[in-house]
Amino acid sequence: MALHEIHVTINDEPEQVTVPANMTLMRMLREKLALTGTKNGCSAGECGACTVLLNGEPVNSCMVLAVECDGARIVSVEGLASEERLAPVQETILRQGGVQCGFCTPGILISAHALLQRNSNPGEDEIREALVGNLCRCTGYVRIIESVKEAARMQSAAS
Amino acid sequence: MNTHPTLPEFDYLRPRTLAEASEFLSRHPAEARPFLGGTDVLVRMRDGFLSPRFLVDVKGLDGTNDLRFDSRTGLTLGAAVSMNRVIASAEVRTHYPLLAEACRSVASYPLRTRATVVGNICNASPAGDTIGACLVLEGVLHVHGVHGPREERLGSFFLGPGKTILNAGDIVTSLHLPLPPKACAGVYIKLGRNQLGDLSIVGVTALGHPDSSCRSGYRFRLALASVAPVPLVPAEAEKHLADHPITTESLREAAQLASDACSPIDDVRGSARYRRLMVRNLSAKALRQVWSQLTG
Amino acid sequence: MKSAGSQPTPSLIGENAPRIDARQKVTGAAVYADDIQFGDSLLHARIKRSPHPHALIRKIDTGRARALPGVKAVVIGEDFPGHIGLYLQDRYIFCRDRVRYVGDPVAGVAAISPEIAQKALDLIDVDYEILEPVLDPELGTSPNAALLHPDLGQYVVANFIFPKPGTNISNHFKIRRGDVDSAWGQCAAIVERKYRIPHIQHVPIEPHVAVAKVEESGEITLWGSSQSPFAQRNLIAQSMGISQSRVRVIAPLVGGGFGSKAGVSMEALVVAIATKARGRAVKLLLTREEEFYTAFVRQGLVAHFKMGCDAKGRLLAMENIFYWDGGAYTEYGVNVTRAAGYSSSGPYEVPNIKTDSYCVYTNHPVGGPMRGFGMPEMHAGLEQCIDELALQVGMDAVEFRRLNCLKTGSTLVTGSKMHPTGLPICIEKTAEAIGWGMKSPPSAPNKRRGKGLALMWKAPAMPPNAGSSAWVELAEDGTVTVGVGGQEIGQGVFTVAAQMAAAALGVPYESVRIATPIDTRYSPYEWQTVASRLTWSMGNAIVNAARDAKRQILDTVAEAWGETPEDLEIIQGVVISYKSEKEIPLKNLAIYGLPKPNDQGWRGGPVIGRGNFMPTYVTGLDAETGQGERAVVHYTTGAQAVELEVDLDTGRIEILRGVSAFDVGKAINPGQVEAQMEGGFVQGMSSALFESLNLKDGVVRSPSFVDYRIATTADAPKDLQAIIVEVAQDDGPWGARGIGEHSMVPTIPAIGNAIFDAVGVRLEGPPFTAEKVYLAMLEAGIVK
Repeated sequence: MALHEIHVTINDEPEQVTVPANMTLMRMLREKLALTGTKNGCSAGECGACTVLLNGEPVNSCMVLAVECDGARIVSVEGLASEERLAPVQETILRQGGVQCGFCTPGILISAHALLQRNSNPGEDEIREALVGNLCRCTGYVRIIESVKEAARMQSAAS
Repeated sequence: MNTHPTLPEFDYLRPRTLAEASEFLSRHPAEARPFLGGTDVLVRMRDGFLSPRFLVDVKGLDGTNDLRFDSRTGLTLGAAVSMNRVIASAEVRTHYPLLAEACRSVASYPLRTRATVVGNICNASPAGDTIGACLVLEGVLHVHGVHGPREERLGSFFLGPGKTILNAGDIVTSLHLPLPPKACAGVYIKLGRNQLGDLSIVGVTALGHPDSSCRSGYRFRLALASVAPVPLVPAEAEKHLADHPITTESLREAAQLASDACSPIDDVRGSARYRRLMVRNLSAKALRQVWSQLTG
Repeated sequence: MKSAGSQPTPSLIGENAPRIDARQKVTGAAVYADDIQFGDSLLHARIKRSPHPHALIRKIDTGRARALPGVKAVVIGEDFPGHIGLYLQDRYIFCRDRVRYVGDPVAGVAAISPEIAQKALDLIDVDYEILEPVLDPELGTSPNAALLHPDLGQYVVANFIFPKPGTNISNHFKIRRGDVDSAWGQCAAIVERKYRIPHIQHVPIEPHVAVAKVEESGEITLWGSSQSPFAQRNLIAQSMGISQSRVRVIAPLVGGGFGSKAGVSMEALVVAIATKARGRAVKLLLTREEEFYTAFVRQGLVAHFKMGCDAKGRLLAMENIFYWDGGAYTEYGVNVTRAAGYSSSGPYEVPNIKTDSYCVYTNHPVGGPMRGFGMPEMHAGLEQCIDELALQVGMDAVEFRRLNCLKTGSTLVTGSKMHPTGLPICIEKTAEAIGWGMKSPPSAPNKRRGKGLALMWKAPAMPPNAGSSAWVELAEDGTVTVGVGGQEIGQGVFTVAAQMAAAALGVPYESVRIATPIDTRYSPYEWQTVASRLTWSMGNAIVNAARDAKRQILDTVAEAWGETPEDLEIIQGVVISYKSEKEIPLKNLAIYGLPKPNDQGWRGGPVIGRGNFMPTYVTGLDAETGQGERAVVHYTTGAQAVELEVDLDTGRIEILRGVSAFDVGKAINPGQVEAQMEGGFVQGMSSALFESLNLKDGVVRSPSFVDYRIATTADAPKDLQAIIVEVAQDDGPWGARGIGEHSMVPTIPAIGNAIFDAVGVRLEGPPFTAEKVYLAMLEAGIVK
């Protein structure tokens, strides 16, 4: 099986990685770059624990081949916060108590962050729809949804 | 279940032209597969149902990324255009809201970043959510094969679950939807096991528009998901509504005819009996909704 | 050891202290077992599993697998003769002569990549002789059923479990109280029902994962996503015939457990493989498909209920027969059978009760502990029968429960007395919050609306001597480190542990850290993170450790100041004297002590507090009658109510509102208690509406998220209320008892009762899928 050398930007840092064709983006992040914040929950595109941003849009990274990402811009949970502060969705999920075991949290944060980039004032149903592919077994989603609403308000207030 | 912990081994190719891609695919008929969003192919590979030696990435080939609306000829949807892009397109929402609605019912937002309508069609699952909309909107596929480009009508495209009339070497480059019928209204009702994100137990696509060539003055188009080996067009039901004045009763009768036309199976998502009943109930509901939109 | 029930309550207890583990989880820094970096020498394991539900192993040939380049170890059952099990040692690490469920491990491979390990599995040839399987627990008890464990009589078993050798019954728990046969004659109403509760799975978002390595010294190190590092050490050591100190378990954060990661399931496999891997670390990560059925599942139940009351609605008699579909091995599930038996009255006072609770071996996946430990399965039918009985005798369902529910001092099914309980308060608050008795119109002509309510009770199900221990130490900067053996699985225990330590010692919450990861080499012993026991049990140990540390500190300062410790206190990390008003920060003496005057030396020294807690009063239960003085430590009780709509076109259920009220004794962190109620409700709702393992002929069909649906954001109700009731537990820290499991127990029957209220149908068991509801309505003539 051939190896491919790809160039990607991950959390604003350029990387050069050699990957076999059958390595998914998720595995590349976790195994080649030690970015283990992105989680492996099913490897089948169903649970959302592996959600990252690919050229600004959320994807299940277990269903994207690393080799397809040559030239792409990836943002994982490790890239949401700046040096100075957490992203609004991170701050609010902490404040609202929307984190329990935390395994779904990185994927949730990426999906929520992306939602607020494309829709600065989502309604309750829009939030639910945007997060429907991120399964959580612990929280019952209540506080997660509240935290996205609060993050939207925070973002609006800041701008 | 022979699920792999990681994807099985394969080689990845990214040809630069359609001709190159088509030629490679035809030279390796059993071993090579075209690859778009991967949301079906990669899952099936992981589950051991597919083991291609080559995945041929056809995203980025000529025309596959185009999303264009022409006010004379209609919509051209490139094969690589993601469902999210379709949903977000103002032109799709204005002229083909049914297609946007169908796309929106698929899985989840992150999955729709990768999933494509053309991929959904070529995967040829009877459960394919966007196929019904493309059928009732008279979609045509542009195919590039070893002998060059040709068109295939969706109505005759599906042969069975996962089976289409495509040959080795064929690459679907785009889907074309003609201009929608004037003053049409459409709806897609999908019944899943939970509220959103599921595969359909049944899916009902209904489209209606004024048509003076029909005795009733209206033409209805219907397509049903998950109730037959292929996405099903219940012709008798459509004919009933073309021939009879549209009333609560005739809509109900059409829904019954749609149910009679199905040949569902018992599977893990639902029983055949329940599916028939749901086709009846949800077709009636869909037709009422369309009728209500048509008559304001 | 004494509990902390009489402590003064500093303001930290009862506050929503921010979660101590959450920030790392939102930045991606949190380390779970699959995130630990082991380097390039890490090997990957895959397991060859039985494709048959029941078969003898005639021959295993591993030659071709061993020869595959990249394969570094291949093991089979022959290599590991020891039995393993928690309450009943009924399984081998790898099958030796027989396979008993589809998925049963037959061989293990370690290779340099998961792909090569997977390839090697196909090169292992196994000859099976297929046997007749047992696929139903009731049928499994018949003398004609195939015998799954002929050696049942020889298995090591805990003295409170009663297997029946020569049968498939691995435990038979009995209640014989009063005179049930005569009591029926006095009943004005009798309900008799059978409920079939399907298997489900915990579905932690993090699948099981474990890494094992044999060190130079021959000791074994096991890293894993684990609720039970000490139990794993114990069981694995016993099975391998080595000393407990030769097995070290390191347990980082857990991405959800719900019981699936308690005891030992797949961890023993990778330890076994590692013993043949010449010192290289070996990782086994279950695929999601394997997660669904090869670690633990929640066993199915066939339950026969019969209950009767007099004309005034007073419960007079209950007769219950429970057939637990325990699966291929019931080393853990036997206790579920027992727990259900001694809880089989439900949270009610019933003078005459006869229960037979059978744990039955079947050729199904292994039933283990899942949130509620038998209570959700049992209450699913019991609480619906209560509704039916109330209806029969013409009483409102809430009124019926008010009358019959347990109150402080009530006599229980086991003959003991109920401790102070807030169950009646939970009923009132739940009924009020859901608007019981008020009907609101449906949202559309094709919908029907209904309300339902259900109660629950549960005690921690554990051996009588399950213990906790803790230590407390300080650093020069005044930070406090608390050593515990309990695990953070998302429930928030590290946070309340820090709160309790801070409150008991007198330091700011922010100065407290928990020593993680839990490591059996350094961490103090904790029985298991199960049974909703940590806040109570580990909490007591922490408080005792903190008090021990405090005593050392105050003794030193008192001596230095010529005062008595009773006049001193520690507040916000500063020792103060009420008498002299002198003060000194803890950090000034916590390590080095205090100097004596005139350069005469030093007093004190490094402060290290230790504490433990183990209930000393748990008695047994009579093997024939199930009666005993105090067989459990305490009960958490509660109620849930739902308001829902049924779609007449599809049968689909939509939960509009959910209300939970639980008596937790004392909410150390109310926000986290509410979060448990919310999460438990949604998990319970998910099990009520969507979930069942699709078992056919012993095979779990479609074991993936595609067809095993769990609740998503779109399914969670828009209105979820969590009500905290606090009637103190006499031996709980600040009066606290557990909540983690209880919030998922009454949800199925609350929904079942609401469906009946809405459309007048009851189903034989969950999940209440749209199809089942629709076809039931069709049959009842509610729809055409």
